[in-house]
Amino acid sequence: MAERLTAARGPAAPPAWRAGQSSASGPSASGPSASGPSASGPSASGPSASGPSPSGFSASRPLSLLLRGAAALAQRAVLLAVLLVAVFAAMEFLPGDAARSSLDRGASAAAVAARRVELGLDQPLWNRLLRWMAGLPTGDLGVTSRGEQVAEVIGRHFPGTLLLGGLAFAVTMVAALALAVVAALRPSSALDRAISGTSTVVAALPEFVVASVLVLLFALWADLLPAVTVTAAGGGPASAAMLVLPVLSLAVPQIGWNARVARAALADECTAPHVEAAVLDGLPPRRVLLRHVLPGSLPTIAAGAATSVGMLLGGAVVVETIFNYPGVGSVLAGAVRDRDTPLVAGVVMVTSVAILAVLLAADLVRGWASVRRP
Amino acid sequence: MRTALRLLPAGLIAVIALAGPLLAPSPIDAPVAAPYALPGPGVPLGADELGRNVLSRVLAGGRELLLTSLVVACLVTVAAALLGTAAALRPALGRIVERVADVMILLPAVLAVLLVVLSWQGGGRVALVTAAVAVGLPYAIRVVCAAAAPIAGSGYVEAAVAGGERLPQLVWREVLPNLRATLLILLGLRFVAAVYVVTTAAFLELGPQPPAADWALMVRENAPGILLNPWAVVVPSLAIGVLALSVQTAAEVLAPRSGRQVVARL
Amino acid sequence: MELTRRRILATGGGLGVGLLLAACGSGPRRAAAGDGPATGPPRRGGTLRVGAVGKASAVNRDPHGVQVNDSDYLILALAHDPLTVPGHRPNVVPRLAARWESDDLRRWRFTLAEGATFHDGTPVTGADVAWSLRRLRATPAGATRLPGIDAGGIKADGRNAVILTSDYPNSEVPLLARLTTFTLKEDTTDVTRAPGTGPFRLESFRDGNARLVRNDAWYGGEPPLDAIEVRMFESPQAMTSALLTGQIDLASNVGPVAARTAEGRDGVQVIRRPHDMAMPIVMRTADGPFADERVRLALRLAVDREAMVRQVLSGYGTVANDVLGTADPAYATGLTQRARDLARAGRLLDEAGFDRRGTYELFTTEDVPGLAESATLFATQMRDAGVNVKVVKQESAVFWDRTWLKAPLYTTYWGTNDSVVFFAGKTMQSGTAHNEAAWKDEEFDRAYRKAVGATRGTGRATALRELQRVEYESSGYLLWGMADGIDLAAAGVGGLPKLPGYGRVQLERSWLSA
Repeated sequence: MAERLTAARGPAAPPAWRAGQSSASGPSASGPSASGPSASGPSASGPSASGPSPSGFSASRPLSLLLRGAAALAQRAVLLAVLLVAVFAAMEFLPGDAARSSLDRGASAAAVAARRVELGLDQPLWNRLLRWMAGLPTGDLGVTSRGEQVAEVIGRHFPGTLLLGGLAFAVTMVAALALAVVAALRPSSALDRAISGTSTVVAALPEFVVASVLVLLFALWADLLPAVTVTAAGGGPASAAMLVLPVLSLAVPQIGWNARVARAALADECTAPHVEAAVLDGLPPRRVLLRHVLPGSLPTIAAGAATSVGMLLGGAVVVETIFNYPGVGSVLAGAVRDRDTPLVAGVVMVTSVAILAVLLAADLVRGWASVRRP
Repeated sequence: MRTALRLLPAGLIAVIALAGPLLAPSPIDAPVAAPYALPGPGVPLGADELGRNVLSRVLAGGRELLLTSLVVACLVTVAAALLGTAAALRPALGRIVERVADVMILLPAVLAVLLVVLSWQGGGRVALVTAAVAVGLPYAIRVVCAAAAPIAGSGYVEAAVAGGERLPQLVWREVLPNLRATLLILLGLRFVAAVYVVTTAAFLELGPQPPAADWALMVRENAPGILLNPWAVVVPSLAIGVLALSVQTAAEVLAPRSGRQVVARL
Repeated sequence: MELTRRRILATGGGLGVGLLLAACGSGPRRAAAGDGPATGPPRRGGTLRVGAVGKASAVNRDPHGVQVNDSDYLILALAHDPLTVPGHRPNVVPRLAARWESDDLRRWRFTLAEGATFHDGTPVTGADVAWSLRRLRATPAGATRLPGIDAGGIKADGRNAVILTSDYPNSEVPLLARLTTFTLKEDTTDVTRAPGTGPFRLESFRDGNARLVRNDAWYGGEPPLDAIEVRMFESPQAMTSALLTGQIDLASNVGPVAARTAEGRDGVQVIRRPHDMAMPIVMRTADGPFADERVRLALRLAVDREAMVRQVLSGYGTVANDVLGTADPAYATGLTQRARDLARAGRLLDEAGFDRRGTYELFTTEDVPGLAESATLFATQMRDAGVNVKVVKQESAVFWDRTWLKAPLYTTYWGTNDSVVFFAGKTMQSGTAHNEAAWKDEEFDRAYRKAVGATRGTGRATALRELQRVEYESSGYLLWGMADGIDLAAAGVGGLPKLPGYGRVQLERSWLSA
């Protein structure tokens, strides 16, 4: 009996597979059983815990919503600054330095010393950090060890990653929601179990495993899709077909993860009183699901999606290398190798800002959902 | 019976990973065939980039991954159990944990591992384990903290607090014993997360060094010859997938129902 | 693929192809006749899409800067001209400099090619060349690029000549003028937009990828191709996939695995350029466990050279004999080829009192395909001789910073292998700053000075033989084999370069059949 009950409730917890994916963003964060953070501990409402909690929104007016949003934004900006300090410090401990790695092999000690002065590496860490941060508001991210503007280098490469990550994100959300809805429409059916099982499998796979299998199947054996990206004159991939495998390699594990989150969130929401009322009213299941269940589970789904962003951007480092994709991942790998602190910090900053933006969007969805619903 | 069946893959892959080096038909670093030779007599899975036996290397290549991931998962779970419970009992600590987690979520795990392992000259596996623990810990603490919160608020713990019990005793005697199921599930989840971090690091060449046999490293090393001998890439890939999946399944099966429900609500 | 480090120091890279083809009978067969190069007279027109390896983070467009990327060097070499380039025989042939002469081997006069102009139509002058050479000399590694020639020794001589004055007699100055002596207009400030003098004109550049169009006014004669598009790839295997799926026409320097993947496929030519890359193991001679000459000889006898070539290079290479510069016409073929002799190696180790319980670290990096693999297999083979070698793979930057020139045992690589004297002067004579094995040998130094101070003749030949004998007997190098350079090309491409090393960038005579 217990077995069947669980099955009817849908899959168990969406697992926190990945370091970056908090299981705190799981299905029931907004459900009835976890309606508010416990007084004695930190909230379990997911990655946006530092922001306003869902229940805090229930009585607020739009103005207060805006203020809280601004406060959340300011708070996250502070966190970003903390992260950047940590990254700067970490780079300080890396062996080798930018002066030597940007010079010819065998350059004289005097040349290295001169280069260090030129790059400002003779300055204390704090001076470099402050100077770098002072430039940020004006969009000046400093100069790479090869003398290029960091903003320019990132500006050239980040659009590619954004395209890759954005497409992967879109594919992830559409596929994950579709799978979750299909599964939720027929709870405990073979289809539901198949979807849950498969999403468990793929969510556990590192991107490079997915990529090597996809390349083998679709590029080398079936010869359907190109295995590598060739850059067109404009800087992007030469054809849209070249995007398919990199996007899928990134998206497949995240589809698995988000499908589980969404499926569990839908199952949770099904037990809400207004949904049960709608069912008793005799509304068709599809209508109940789309009109009554889905909106209620959106905050949880948004939180899951937000955590996926970090995974997608991190996975891009691996996937871009495999597919020769022109993006920021290969620049980052090279920058760490060359001890190019301003470039690494710049890439981390842009990546973090992208994650931050999605987290804020997730906060807004929560806020909107909790304002809308009594 | 069904339970046993669902535990089988995890047991099997663990046995292969741990005992594999003993079963290897030929030394893992001796060339036995042409580079990327196709499967043939003596080399059922063909040869790798240096003509070494892929079967031997697959059998030998899981032990370190398994053990490293296990160490990471245990460290994270134990640390999270202690800190998370303490955070549930002491809100100030809880807030610090929250802030750290908020910072960490802005840094993708792959980037974090890249930075730590490269910064730590000669750190080797210790650096990798440290990085993996660091990226996993904040979230694990959150999970434990949320699970511990209702217990911390319950009557008998409040009574113990009023009775003057100190924090370590509260954590150890009053709260943790009630979190066994949650922690077991958490251990499984952290193991799968650790497999992801450890294999991705190895793929980015931040882990085991050649001539070590390692599944992720094999995928990387043999990728150039994927057309000549696909098995040298596919088999280690599948092994990683099966390892992650089977442990996940096993944790779900083994955890008492109450634990499953607790984690399901996190 | 950080060939540049090599490239900058190594201004050289041609060979005698005929000799080498004869010497490399053991490798896999060449591509079947049906996949051969396009035949018939060169056809004018078409755009050749060329792939080359490069890292986005390392793109460098300064002609005199550090070109870590193959792709960057290819683009520069097509748009600019060095004074001289690698050749077949002799190994130095004219380019921007039509001829050169010296009476005393110290004062060298290079005369510029008739009708040489920049892409904007202005003629190239001696002043432009002198300014560019001084700019090259002023780069951090300038002293190793133009050894013995300081800025004061570089002077324009009239409108169309330049004079280089060496501190010491050096017959190799024209050889040193190969590859990086790119000429820009005097007082150029923006080097990325500066017009070149080469067979192709840079039309557009983005993130390491470039499009170059034919320079109709090139002094060397009009190239057949309308345009060349250079595409940058992060790895050789990505480049190979692109060629096999028809996204590029030529994959430059792809390595042996790609060659095997492509062998037997319709419509793909496999071009082998023997003696392309040396990947010797360096044993430090000055101190440490390998300071004893007997230990070094033991290791040379313990390595299984045939197996190294077969397993590391998939047979796309040749066994070598511990002497660098294998493609030099003066390479000593009379020295006995070393082969594996574990018994003798064991005796030598015992005599030297070598500690077999110790673990010896072999440092390597992944700059070129096969390098780290060679270290791995070497370590395995040494176990048979009772020497416990542990491979330590380092990040490229760390390797060049901390290991190169310093560690007791490490791998190195050189892309210029057509000159014995080049290596002697660059890495082995006691005065050089880049003495990889910290080797000092008076006998060797004497032979070296005699060789570079002699004009071509019997004195030089004798000195070169002597030099190679000493190197063979006691240097710190263990050179187990030479890797072929391998390019893949689509069936319709003709006139491709056959030279090893940096001769592979000479695409001005390449053409596409209809």
